[in-house]
Amino acid sequence: MSHLRYTIKRLLQAIPVLIGITSITFLLINAMPGSPVEVMLGPTASEELIAAAEERYGFNQPIHVRYVKYILAALGGDLGRSIHYGVPVTTKILERLPVTLLLLASSFAFALSVAIPLGIVSARRRNQPVDHGSRVVSLIGVSTPNFWIGLLLIIVFGYHLQVLPSNGLVMPLTPISEVEGATSRLDVLVQTVRSLIMPTIALGTLQMAAVSRIERSSMLEVLGRDYINLARAFGVKESVITRKHAFRNAQLPVVTIIGLQLTSALGGAVLTETVFNINGMGRLIIQAVRTQDYALIMGTTLFFGVMFVIGTLLTDLTYAYLDPRVTYEGED
Amino acid sequence: MTTPLLSVENLQTQFETAEGTVRAVDGISFDVHEGETVGLVGESGAGKSVAISSVLRLVESPGEIVGGEIRFRGETLLSFEEGPNGERRQSPESLSNKEFRQRIRGREIATIFQDPMESLNPVFTIGSQLQEFIEINRELPPKDARDVAIETLREVDIPKPEDRFDDYPHEFSGGMRQRVLIAMAIACQPSLILADEPTTALDVTVEGQILNLVSDLQEEYGTSFVWVTHDLAVVADICDRVNVMYLGQMAEQADVHDLFDNTKHPYTEALLQSVPRPDKTVESLTPIEGVMPEAINPPSGCRFHPRCPDARAVCREVNPEPRNVSDTDTRHNAACVKHDAFDVDYEHSTPIQSEGDEFGEDLQVTEGSR
Repeated sequence: MSHLRYTIKRLLQAIPVLIGITSITFLLINAMPGSPVEVMLGPTASEELIAAAEERYGFNQPIHVRYVKYILAALGGDLGRSIHYGVPVTTKILERLPVTLLLLASSFAFALSVAIPLGIVSARRRNQPVDHGSRVVSLIGVSTPNFWIGLLLIIVFGYHLQVLPSNGLVMPLTPISEVEGATSRLDVLVQTVRSLIMPTIALGTLQMAAVSRIERSSMLEVLGRDYINLARAFGVKESVITRKHAFRNAQLPVVTIIGLQLTSALGGAVLTETVFNINGMGRLIIQAVRTQDYALIMGTTLFFGVMFVIGTLLTDLTYAYLDPRVTYEGED
Repeated sequence: MTTPLLSVENLQTQFETAEGTVRAVDGISFDVHEGETVGLVGESGAGKSVAISSVLRLVESPGEIVGGEIRFRGETLLSFEEGPNGERRQSPESLSNKEFRQRIRGREIATIFQDPMESLNPVFTIGSQLQEFIEINRELPPKDARDVAIETLREVDIPKPEDRFDDYPHEFSGGMRQRVLIAMAIACQPSLILADEPTTALDVTVEGQILNLVSDLQEEYGTSFVWVTHDLAVVADICDRVNVMYLGQMAEQADVHDLFDNTKHPYTEALLQSVPRPDKTVESLTPIEGVMPEAINPPSGCRFHPRCPDARAVCREVNPEPRNVSDTDTRHNAACVKHDAFDVDYEHSTPIQSEGDEFGEDLQVTEGSR
């Protein structure tokens, strides 16, 4: 019960956050030199033509009027039209969103499935070779920019070995006819996996390294607690102590880091999608800025804001699930 | 004499640190007989807790048991032998870690930890933690283990145990959590419970309740206890025999009455003078001067000599092992060379200055000027 109420309350709290994001973005866009109309019509356009276009798109109105209009329309689900693509912003976002979500999901699946066992093994075998090895890997992972990892992967596996495609991402539901050399749905899925491998590693390495470091230190801290020693004193097996008695306690800081990484991974997705030529949200936002496509910049930024809110909300709710001491009662 | 339940001989546990080797427990011996409560007393840092952890093999790296022998009902739990290269290693008679975990921990020797606030896992319910230990150590199916758990919670006076079973540790007070820890120990029906300052973190009224509870339970089950404490009032209250530790070694070992009424070691005497006693009226309490030195660099000879009012030159030379100095039939061990059992010519040795003396002189001056 309290979880539901808490969730609703947190979603309501997200409103000021989103208002903040939209107003700052709105102001920043308008502070940019030039206007979308100039970009659209090119340098040779006459003053009259520009003025006419600005009036048509409403750019001649004062900024606060445009802002209020934008917000009111956005509340109704209308994020405006992209000048560059000539379609509603929502249509464009819905088209690109699944690509980025697939990339994020696959990166996190990779990051967590490697990082959590690695962190635990590292903590259990502290200062032994396996621990040193995993710490070196983690350190390299957190200090290497993901676009550089992406480029390296492309050079090695895409260019020299030619075993993996280095361009684009085949979505699993793409019509079979549109995928080169595919004759069945299975072929498409194989292509999806192959095209996902390198972007996943490029984007996921940072999260993997960050999570495994925190998993290790958190596990070490918990394994030194009195209640772990108590379980040992009562004959509980070490494997059970790791899996049951220590694991859940140790995940609290890990969850925080994962929540934060979710947001930073969105930034990483922008770079990864650029390096691998993947048409997801990341490239869309870059495209929008390049063409000064006001509505599209606003729409994509708003979407990133929403993702951030969801990320922190998920973090908080996971906390409550993991730790019975966290309650949201009495916060009213 | 019957075989002791637990017999610890010349136990040595040390910690390798960057500054050097810390001999936290340096050759202590003590016995615990069936149904007995044995006190392990000393100041903070004397090595009491390390001794307890050593018995349960819970000493964590960089700590290591490096010598001695531990026997339980005559069976060797741990002993050492000389390896082929002259190094000391665990002898083959010692129980393997697995056997030790399966047969001894919880099942034969249970423990009550010091800090009730830290010793329960915050993310599991009280009941599930208790039930798990019962399942492991009494090999009961979950349903029966649950019943035993609830029954034991009732025995340690947790009100409405059926309802509290599913509560989390943070929903219990410190005293209630300590009761839960006690319930864990007794529910496994061990023959011996090692209690590591279990009432130190509690206020005095709760401490009294817990001590009464433990006495009752001991009467009921006949469980033996090793009770680690620095509180002599607790010792007088519940212990049959007492071991006094100082800086990793035994200072005095005696029957509780002998220890209080016929004290043989200056350290014990100093301890007794530093706390109020209902059976003796004194003008003022005398604190023990100075602090216990670090175990990393213990004083030469008797480790207590820098603080000992009776210290003589010979005390700097000789580090005495506890010997029987009793005037009666009951054994009474003291590790102090002022007794005749130690033939080191203490009588003719020159008294030396110690922190204890300085304090004594100060006291006289104050008295004279009054």
